[in-house]
Parts: sequence; structure tokens; C-alpha cells
Amino acid sequence: MSLVELRSVVKRFGDHTVLRNVDLNVEKGEIIAIIGRSGSGKSTLLRCINGLEAVNSGEVWVDGVAVHDPRADLRALRAQVGFVFQSFNLFPHLTVERNITLGPRIVRGIDGKAAEAIARDALKRVGLEEKLHAYSDQLSGGQQQRVAIARCLAMSPKLMLFDEITSALDPELVGEVLRVLEAMAREGMTMLLVTHEMNFARRVASRVLFMHEGTIFEQGPAREFFEAPKTEELRSFLGAVLH
Amino acid sequence: MIRDLGWIDVFYLALAMRWTIVLTLLGLAGGSAIGLLIAAFGTSRHVPARLLAQGYVGVVQGIPLLAWLFIFYFGFPIFGVTVPGWIAAAIGLSVYAAGFLGEIWRGALVSIPKTQWEAAASIGLSYTKQLRHVIIPQAVRIATPPTVGFVVQLIKNTSLAAVIGFVELTREGQMTAAATLQPLAVFMLVALGYFCLCYPLTQYSRFLERKLRVAR
Amino acid sequence: MAYSFQFRDVFAARDALQDGLVLTLQLTATTITFGFAIGLGAAAAYMYGGPLLRRAAQTYVEVIRNTPLLVQLFVMFFGLPSLGVKLDVIPVATTALAINLGAYAAEIIRAGLESVPKSQVEAGLSLGMTRGEVFRHIVLMPALRNVYPSLTSQFVLLMLATSVVSQIAAPELFYAGSIIQSRTYRDFEVYVVIAVMYLAVSLFLRAIFAICYHLLFRRP
Repeated sequence: MSLVELRSVVKRFGDHTVLRNVDLNVEKGEIIAIIGRSGSGKSTLLRCINGLEAVNSGEVWVDGVAVHDPRADLRALRAQVGFVFQSFNLFPHLTVERNITLGPRIVRGIDGKAAEAIARDALKRVGLEEKLHAYSDQLSGGQQQRVAIARCLAMSPKLMLFDEITSALDPELVGEVLRVLEAMAREGMTMLLVTHEMNFARRVASRVLFMHEGTIFEQGPAREFFEAPKTEELRSFLGAVLH
Repeated sequence: MIRDLGWIDVFYLALAMRWTIVLTLLGLAGGSAIGLLIAAFGTSRHVPARLLAQGYVGVVQGIPLLAWLFIFYFGFPIFGVTVPGWIAAAIGLSVYAAGFLGEIWRGALVSIPKTQWEAAASIGLSYTKQLRHVIIPQAVRIATPPTVGFVVQLIKNTSLAAVIGFVELTREGQMTAAATLQPLAVFMLVALGYFCLCYPLTQYSRFLERKLRVAR
Repeated sequence: MAYSFQFRDVFAARDALQDGLVLTLQLTATTITFGFAIGLGAAAAYMYGGPLLRRAAQTYVEVIRNTPLLVQLFVMFFGLPSLGVKLDVIPVATTALAINLGAYAAEIIRAGLESVPKSQVEAGLSLGMTRGEVFRHIVLMPALRNVYPSLTSQFVLLMLATSVVSQIAAPELFYAGSIIQSRTYRDFEVYVVIAVMYLAVSLFLRAIFAICYHLLFRRP
């Protein structure tokens, strides 16, 4: 079984159907970029994978766990799946260290000293070791987002989900975050990224998905995807976006 | 002589509610008059006026209402003025209410952004006209929910007038409880009476607040 | 003015005033502790409980907030004995005050809980924390910090409201005043002194709360 499997997933918000019969398989080690217009369902797709949104029908399987089942223990699963948000969502009342050690301490029961070591390690991976005792409002946007990534890495996840993580950043801060993502990709992390960074997707992703009106309209290996789009919708989207 | 609790008692309790209402209105009227002054002083350009307003609010809000009632109740005769108990209560309530209303209204005035004043001035309105046509209408809308909320407090506060012997709903309840030896039933009825007065106003205040939030 | 103010008699009774003051402070401290706990429970019940719990919390808050403290006190003190419950003055006073404060605290704390963005909760859940853990570690302190001024103002109001329990002869500061009044006939002076004492205590309390803020929510 694949690491992530979506079968005929339908998601509605009130009268509005956001995901229409989506099927997707993600294997371990894949780097999948998801692109598309606003409202095409990209973020919702990601949020259905770790259960932040419940699907109306269909199945969502992550690492053998039936996420769509109301009785599922999402807690254990979410500890294995990292989710990085567009607006970072760091905890403002905690230091960087406490932000990162909260998960390991509370969810895994790891004690103080060991947790601190994990935090240092995670921060080193994102290049912010010296910010251990800072508060989030003392950091730039790019630094906050890297801390958010470190917070997920501290849980040693099997899968990382990124929901437009550079969209809220000033342009000059985007690079530092993308470099961290590239490093993670090289280390073999399975990643799904909803992104607008087309160059990054083309360079780093193994597969790219184009979402359009709630379905995966076209998908393919990165190079083919960008150089030879098969559908008119993807061609016009790429034309509008890559100028 | 002990009598049974009957509908006649419920009737007299209901009747006593009118004194609760009268006292509330008196306190509101007096409190508003003084409160307007406090709000005006509190937003003045002159520091002494602002300090006076701050001092008034600080002192009133730092002393229990019971103490204010007693001070006026016992104070008037000392200064050679004989007033009936209910007037002393009304004045005590007014002074107390002004300390809260004045602060609510001052807060509402102060919350109007400076840009509104500037916009009004730039279309040629004088200070008083700015106040009258642009600032005060907005301040009134902002101040109304907390003011209605405070009226609810005032209604409940009138219960303390019972302590200085004024026969409003609570005092009537005390007398009825003593006469019927049914304190639980009587005071529950009294509570119900206050609830009927307060709850609609509380809901109205919430409704106004929601409307205000939507409008912003 | 054919009256000379005689504050001397009042000052002569300062021991009685001191005893009353001590009880006022004790009542305040106990009530704040229990009232806060009740308020937190009611707010949590409203925010996270099922429809039944939510209704119960709502009813409790509405009934208490729309009836006077004095009447609540009378219901408990004079009403409960007829149900066979015999209680002393001070426990009744504390309970009535705590139940009263709890309703006001509940509204304030609820506003605080609602002020924490949903995205914070999502971030916590995404790390694998339970809703309870998210509440305790992520929501609670920021919520309380946001409503700290309203909450502590309510606590100061509560301290002033303890004067009402004088009406069931709880020997706190205000009651001490009425005893002195009946002994010395210095009605006016007594209550002026008492008023000043309450004012001093309220200023003292506000200072304590300001210090607590720095201790609880400080940022090095």
C-alpha cells in the first residue's frame, strides 16, 4: 500500500463542492508539488490528509490508518505527519525551544534534557540554532517559518505537508525557506507541497499535480509537466503564472 | 402572625417592582446628568479637568455602593438637610452611576479615531458642529451596548436601597418572607422579578453589540 | 454648621475595623479562587461541552447575572435552611460570592478563549496533541492574558461587593462599621472612614494584580 492513498474523496463546504472524486497515491520518498488557482481545492486536499478536514465521502489512507473513519485515532497519526501552515502558527507565548519541544514532551513523553537536544538538532537542520531562546515576534517571517518546519521535524515525521508556506513571506525571505525544503528532499523525506513557486517545483519535485475545480486535472513528472502540458487548462494556467 | 403565601403576596411583590423601576430611572437620570459632565471633563484639552474626571471615576469605582448609600443617607441630616430616605438613595445611586456611565461615555468618545475629527474639520465644521454631527452620533452607537448593560447593573443595585429601608422589590420580599416564613419561595419570586426586568435588557445589549460589530 | 465631626470615636474602634478588614480580605481571596475555578469550568463547558453542558452553563450564567447579589445571598442564607441545609454565615457568604463571581468570570474567560485564533488550535492538533492538551498548553494562558484587565477589574468589584454580606451579619469590614455606628452614633464618620478603607484596599488590589501580570505573563 502507498504511504498516502485517496480514493474517490469528496469534500463539500455547505453547498459548495471543493473536492470532486479525487484519487491519489503517494509513495514513500516522493516529492509532490500541487499547483492550481485559488479555490481549486489544493489546501483542502492537504488538510484532508491529516484530518483537519473530514471528508464527506471516499477514503483517505495514510500509513495504513483510515483517516476518514470517525473512530480513527488521529492523534497517533498526526504525530507522524508534519503540517506546516501558510501563517506559521507558532505559539506566541512560548520560546522557540518550547514551541519545538512541546510535541515531543507532551505527545511522546520525552523528558526535558532529551527534548532540548531534539530541539537543537531540529533548529540546526533549518539553520537557526542560535534562536533557541527567542520568541516568535522577535523573528522575521522566514525565520518563523523555518522554526515551524523545525517544530514538525522534531517529531521525526514520515510525511510532511506544506500548505503554501512561502505565500505570506516577503520575497527576499523565501529563498532561505526553500533551501531548507531542498535539504529535506535530498534526505529522502516524503513531501507534499501546495505551492506557487513554479521554479522550485520544477527543480525539486518528482511529480506535479495540477488541481482545477476540485479534481486533479493533470499530473506528471516535473519536467514533462512544465515543458509539455497536455491539457488546455494547464497550458493557460502556466501561461498566466510563468511570465 | 404567620400567614400563608398566596397570590396576594405575589401581587404586592409585583407592585413593589414599580419602585425598583422608579429608583432605577432616577439613578439613570441623575447618573446621566453627572456622567455627561464627567465624560466632557474627561475628554477636555485642559489637564485639571481631565484629572478631576479621573479622580471622580477612581473614587466612585473604588468604594462599595452600600457605603455611598449610607454616606448620603446619614450625611444629609448632618449637614442640616432633611430628605426622605428614597431621595438619599436616588442621589447615592446617581453619584455611583455617574462614575461608571461617565467612564463608559468617555471611553466611547476617545475611541473615535482622530481621523474622524480631521475629516469633519476639513469639510469646514466648527468644533461644536464636529462634535454634534460627526463624533457624538458615532460615540452614541458605540456607547449604547455597555450603557444598556449598566442599566441592568443599576436595576440590581437598587436592591441595596432595601438596606436603608426603602420599600422596593427586595425589601418587600424581606417583609413577605418574615410574614409567611417561606423565605425560599419568596426570595425565588423576588429573583424572578429582577430576572424579568434584567434579562430582556441583557439580550438587547447583546443584540446591539452584535449589530455594532457587524457594522464595523 | 452645628455639628462637629468626631472621627476620634471611630479611630478608637480601629481594632474592630481591622478585624473586619481581615475577614474582607479573606473572603476576597477565597472567593476569587473558587469563583475563578467555577468561571473557568463554566466557560470550558460552554465552549467544548455537548449541548446539555452548554445549556447548563448558559442558564447558570444568565440567572446569576440577571439577579442581584443581595437576593442570591438571601435565597441561600434564609432559603436553604427550609430544605434542611444548615450552614454558618461565612460559608454561605463565600459560596454565594463565589457563585456570583463565577458567572461574571465565565463570560470574561469565554471571550478570552474565543480570542485565541483557531489556527493555533490546528497547529497543536497537527502535532498530535489531544484537544485537552491543546487547551492546557496552547489556548489557556494566551486567553487569560488577553482578558486579564477585565478579569482583574471584576475581582476588584467583587472585593467591594463583599460589603453586601454584611446583611447576613458576616463580620467583615462593612458590618464592623455598622456595629461601631450603633455604639458611637457617629453614622456619617464611620462610613466615610470605611469608604476610604475600601478605596485603599481597591488600590492595593490593583497594584497586586499589576505585579501578578508581570509574574505570569512576563517576557524575558
